[in-house]
Amino acid sequence: MPDIKVTPLGAGQDVGRSCILVSIGGKNIMLDCGMHMGYNDDRRFPDFSYITQNGRLTDYLDCVIISHFHLDHCGALPYMSEMVGYDGPIYMTHPTKAICPILLEDFRKITVDKKGETNFFTSQMIKDCMKKVVPLNLHQTVQVDDELEIKAYYAGHVLGAAMVQIKVGSESVVYTGDYNMTPDRHLGAAWIDKCRPDILITESTYATTIRDSKRCRERDFLKKVHESIERGGKVLIPVFALGRAQELCILLETFWERMNLKAPIYFSTGLTEKANHYYKLFITWTNQKIRKTFVQRNMFEFKHIKAFDRSYADNPGPMVVFATPGMLHAGQSLQIFKKWAGNEKNMVIMPGYCVQGTVGHKILNGQKKLEMEGRATLEVKLQVEYMSFSAHADAKGIMQLIRMAEPHNILLVHGEAKKMAFLKDKIEQEFNISCYMPANGETTTVTTNPSVPVDISLNLLKREMALGGPLPDPKRPRTMHGTLIMKDNSLRLVSPEQALKELGLSEHQLRFTCRVHLQDPHSDTDTLSRIYSHLKSVLKGYAVQHLPDSTVMVESIVLKVSSSAEEPDLKVVLLSWCFQDEELGSFLSTLLKKGLPSAL
Amino acid sequence: MDSECLSLLPSVCEVLADSKLLPPDDTSLEKLLDWFKDLTSQDDGQSLLQHQPCLLQFLYSVMESEVVDPIIFSFSLKLAGLLAAEESGFCLLQEKGVLVSMFVPDGWHVLGLWKNASVRCGWLQGLWNMLQHPPAMDFFCRNGIITLVLNLQNDESLFITSLTNQILAHILNCSMPRVLGNDTDSTAEGQALVSSDWVSVTTEIMSHMSRSLASEDQAVILPGLRLLAIVLTQCGDPLKRLLWKHVLEPLEVLAIRKGDSLTPPMMAVLQAAARTPLYIQPECRVEALMNVMLYSRNTNESVLCAASILLLEKCVSIRLIGSAVISLLRICIGHYPSTILQVGNFPHLIGCCKIQRCGLDVLGSLTVYEESMDLIQEAFAIILQYMQSPDSHATVLKKAHQAALKWFSICSPSTDLWRFVSNDLFSVLKKHVCDGRWEVRDSTLEFIAQLTSALKGNSEYTEALHTNGMISVLFTALSDVEAYVQASAVAALGEALTTTNLPLCTSLQEEIVSHLLTVLAQDAESFPRRAALKVFTSWLKIPQTFAALDQSLSSVFSLGGNDCDWEVKIHTLELADVLMEKSLSHCPYAVQGYEPSERCTEQALNKLMDLGTLGLLFKCLFDCDRPVSQKACALLLKLRAFMKQTSHTDGNDLALEICRYNWGEEILHRYCSKRPEQSDCVSNDDEVSYEQIDIVKCDPCWPKEISLCKILDVLDLDEMQHTLSLSSDHVINSPRSLMEDILFVAHQSEDNVVDCY
Repeated sequence: MPDIKVTPLGAGQDVGRSCILVSIGGKNIMLDCGMHMGYNDDRRFPDFSYITQNGRLTDYLDCVIISHFHLDHCGALPYMSEMVGYDGPIYMTHPTKAICPILLEDFRKITVDKKGETNFFTSQMIKDCMKKVVPLNLHQTVQVDDELEIKAYYAGHVLGAAMVQIKVGSESVVYTGDYNMTPDRHLGAAWIDKCRPDILITESTYATTIRDSKRCRERDFLKKVHESIERGGKVLIPVFALGRAQELCILLETFWERMNLKAPIYFSTGLTEKANHYYKLFITWTNQKIRKTFVQRNMFEFKHIKAFDRSYADNPGPMVVFATPGMLHAGQSLQIFKKWAGNEKNMVIMPGYCVQGTVGHKILNGQKKLEMEGRATLEVKLQVEYMSFSAHADAKGIMQLIRMAEPHNILLVHGEAKKMAFLKDKIEQEFNISCYMPANGETTTVTTNPSVPVDISLNLLKREMALGGPLPDPKRPRTMHGTLIMKDNSLRLVSPEQALKELGLSEHQLRFTCRVHLQDPHSDTDTLSRIYSHLKSVLKGYAVQHLPDSTVMVESIVLKVSSSAEEPDLKVVLLSWCFQDEELGSFLSTLLKKGLPSAL
Repeated sequence: MDSECLSLLPSVCEVLADSKLLPPDDTSLEKLLDWFKDLTSQDDGQSLLQHQPCLLQFLYSVMESEVVDPIIFSFSLKLAGLLAAEESGFCLLQEKGVLVSMFVPDGWHVLGLWKNASVRCGWLQGLWNMLQHPPAMDFFCRNGIITLVLNLQNDESLFITSLTNQILAHILNCSMPRVLGNDTDSTAEGQALVSSDWVSVTTEIMSHMSRSLASEDQAVILPGLRLLAIVLTQCGDPLKRLLWKHVLEPLEVLAIRKGDSLTPPMMAVLQAAARTPLYIQPECRVEALMNVMLYSRNTNESVLCAASILLLEKCVSIRLIGSAVISLLRICIGHYPSTILQVGNFPHLIGCCKIQRCGLDVLGSLTVYEESMDLIQEAFAIILQYMQSPDSHATVLKKAHQAALKWFSICSPSTDLWRFVSNDLFSVLKKHVCDGRWEVRDSTLEFIAQLTSALKGNSEYTEALHTNGMISVLFTALSDVEAYVQASAVAALGEALTTTNLPLCTSLQEEIVSHLLTVLAQDAESFPRRAALKVFTSWLKIPQTFAALDQSLSSVFSLGGNDCDWEVKIHTLELADVLMEKSLSHCPYAVQGYEPSERCTEQALNKLMDLGTLGLLFKCLFDCDRPVSQKACALLLKLRAFMKQTSHTDGNDLALEICRYNWGEEILHRYCSKRPEQSDCVSNDDEVSYEQIDIVKCDPCWPKEISLCKILDVLDLDEMQHTLSLSSDHVINSPRSLMEDILFVAHQSEDNVVDCY
């Protein structure tokens, strides 16, 4: 039976570096190629030697598909393509293709800045890798090769995020990447066809959570910022260049406008412009509200948010600053943090996840004294707040997507084992389908039962009807006989005659022959007559004829007699029959082997 | 071990063993293991266990716990293995009964933990850590652990099967010399250690291998073949011979058996065997097996086999491969060589990017063989055809460029070659610089830059480049819409002007410099700005003078120093480095036997000052990006060393009006902190606040200028450099920070931990 194999190299029972291998219909596809920011050695990348030891990934992989620009989904891409070696196509949506290199560059710079970093890709490698990228449009089927096709669907989550359907023949898999089933300030909700894939590979970050409404979180965020500003404090919001930052900017901009607030809001230099550029360019990927109002006013052209300069950090009075990087581990955000940390009036709001070892991680976990530059200690007096704005589907959303796509099997990735196990039970109970949650390195094999659609010729159906069969009924399958023509990517069942005619072939007849040796001291002609008489007497009711060309015919069976000059009494009887008379033919040969009755 | 870490370790062990607390994320546990690995490599496990009783306590509590988290359990297995990696640690753990409880099959894994892949992986990893010495091998062989390991060879997890194979190969490797009795190094004592358990384990592994290979089930055969390939690569010759005898029969059956998924691992085994002495022993039948594989399979698989066989060097003539590749490349582009009659068989090859890319790669790599020289004309012809074909995919064109560069690197200059370059190659490149795809434009510009650099100093090439309209094409590309392309155009143009021997007309120079300055001032994407600075630096390095550049240096330093991209700043500092080198080295040193010319030094320093170089260095010294401040610090140290060498110049003459600059504040701050006695305006506190600096700045009694020497002195550059080399690990890698994080996380609410992007 054909099967589909899924092996996560990353994101199997964890939220780390997403990298999932799928083998379907003889094709091998890599879904996402992410990095783990928690390591600073080779462990940050998936171990590609499990795919092939010889480093020639091109030989093994038919294509790579990247779901969105977050580094845990694309961060290992230049390493894989340029350092390990992959020359085949890499698919991602247009916005992802545009934004991905910016984030990779951003991370490369931070990484190079760090000590002890080894084996990291260069700027040139990022560019060379991006040259291998083939952009995808939503809902457009792309033919990777003659058999493999892919199609992207809107996933929400971040600008350009896509779910992707992979199809080989009648077998298919859908990979969701990260998705969000509820629209937010700038993006819409994920959507997919009722495409009934064999497997739906879905993220499960919030597998057990029913999240409070986004509005509540937004209110909470604004309240905290407002309170801090009111008491004259400064608010630092460490962010990554693109993504959540834009959502929070829209939020603050609207709030400032509504409340007529005067405190300045700043954004790290160079980033707003670049980000705005992409949001304008890919306006069709944002939500309906932004698209609608775009004609009157572009949401991303901010009135209150200005570019930040290093010297502003020392300005007196309240202010809000968005600064990179998001985990407070280097650069501007860390520099501002150091300046503001000692004042309890100030506040830092961490809007996302921070890896172990970063200042962000430490302060989120309540550390109040930080060791800086190997010796000095920084006292953290400012208020530390954590506000999750990451846009993932919650348990309800995941179930909603399953109802939308109606898959035959589910496979959970990108989540924690315990929570996955809970969701797995829930899915199996509610939908009565198998749900898998392989760990990294574990292969899940799902047997498929591919139905291959075949067109049937009208003549064949008519003939079937003439024989008195029931009318065709899709609910009651039955067997049909005919000749299968596989031509020009189509399969058709037709009558054998029609097949011969269409293909310009002539019919061939298959005949069996057999020689029987007889001791018969007569002339050849006499022996043939004796055979004729014998058969006539044995095979009553069969057409036995003695033909003028010295042959005897029984139905389609032809008999001839010959002998050699050396041994005239040893007769060789040659029998030949077509396969329809197989039984009669073997009966005759057995009969003649017994010899002719002497009485003849 | 650091005493602070020592004091934290007991609490960390307690937190890890407490099943009510959240386990730390797996990266923290992995990093903790890294630290233990370092510790055990410095000091053996025994002393660690003796000095840190909490470790043993931790292992006990994990073993006894019925609700242990699989992640923690897996961690403890790996840890126990590490601690037992040395004999002494091993003996202690065995004495305490830890090893039997943790590693012997009858113990804990019935609890259901075994179902968890991370636990199985941890168990194997622990074994792998431990199996480094004979007592551990003894332990392994005596306790029947091998059965479980062999079972894991067919595990669902790739990670587990791969680790299992490594362990099995390791066991064979360790035990075989002793079992075979030809271990020349072993003493009589060592020999005595070879118990019947060792023999039975090795026999079991080998029988298991031949059984696996004889199986009907592909899932069983596959790991068997993988193990065989590992053994053939890693183990000693006697073992290989013995093993080969065991497996030859099933291999012969497998060679005739058809099945897609087995062909690559079979070929991997045969390739490995072909690289051992087994290859030349007729009874081993390695070559015969290859033959069977090659001829008994369908086209696709035969190609795979053929490819593997070709990888074994020197088996086919390079000339033959070259001709075949060129023919294939011709077919792929739709040009059928007349020698190939059955043209109809290849329609699917036409336009097949995968084969085109691969073919061009091979074509390029042929250039390492001398025999390829005969193919040079054909090679260039086919490369040109690919470049000229309107259907060539961007990735294929890039491969064509790479192949062309390789062929250029081996060919000797000839009139034909230059005709080819100026007539054929340049005309197609000019078209590509205007291609609709940015990938093509960029690769073409990169190719031009690389070719120019490779043919540096070749006057025919330079002439062709400058007389063919190429320069104006490059100029146009500077205004490309894509930043990547602009940057490549800057680099190509820079290269073209660096390598030329032709006198450049001043107006062209001026035009280029002013264009690059515009790039520096206006570009928003950083790649072109970085490229522009690199070009300036390369121009400044060459002996000829670029008058236009010299006039613009101060603008370059000002723009580059104020850039928001730290790499642009780094490149600006590199430019400053070259300039400093150039201007200061013209001043003779005392060591060279001359009286150093005070005047010359002064002039040079004044020039650097006027061009804004010194300002740049001080500004960058306080940059928020470490590499920038580190580079600036290094340059200032260089400057200080120079000034010390020319010590009679006290530098007092060169004074900086620091209040004019925004970086001046930092210097003033340090100046005040260092020399509070000099000013009545500043209190005697250790720290000087910025508010106080403001007072200082306004105070008319304060000197507005500080001499360069004093500044360099006050800055304490050595200390700064030391700090900079320590810092910036803001992803703090110290074990102490790791342990603190583990302790803090354990008491956090769940929400903070689970979140991600």
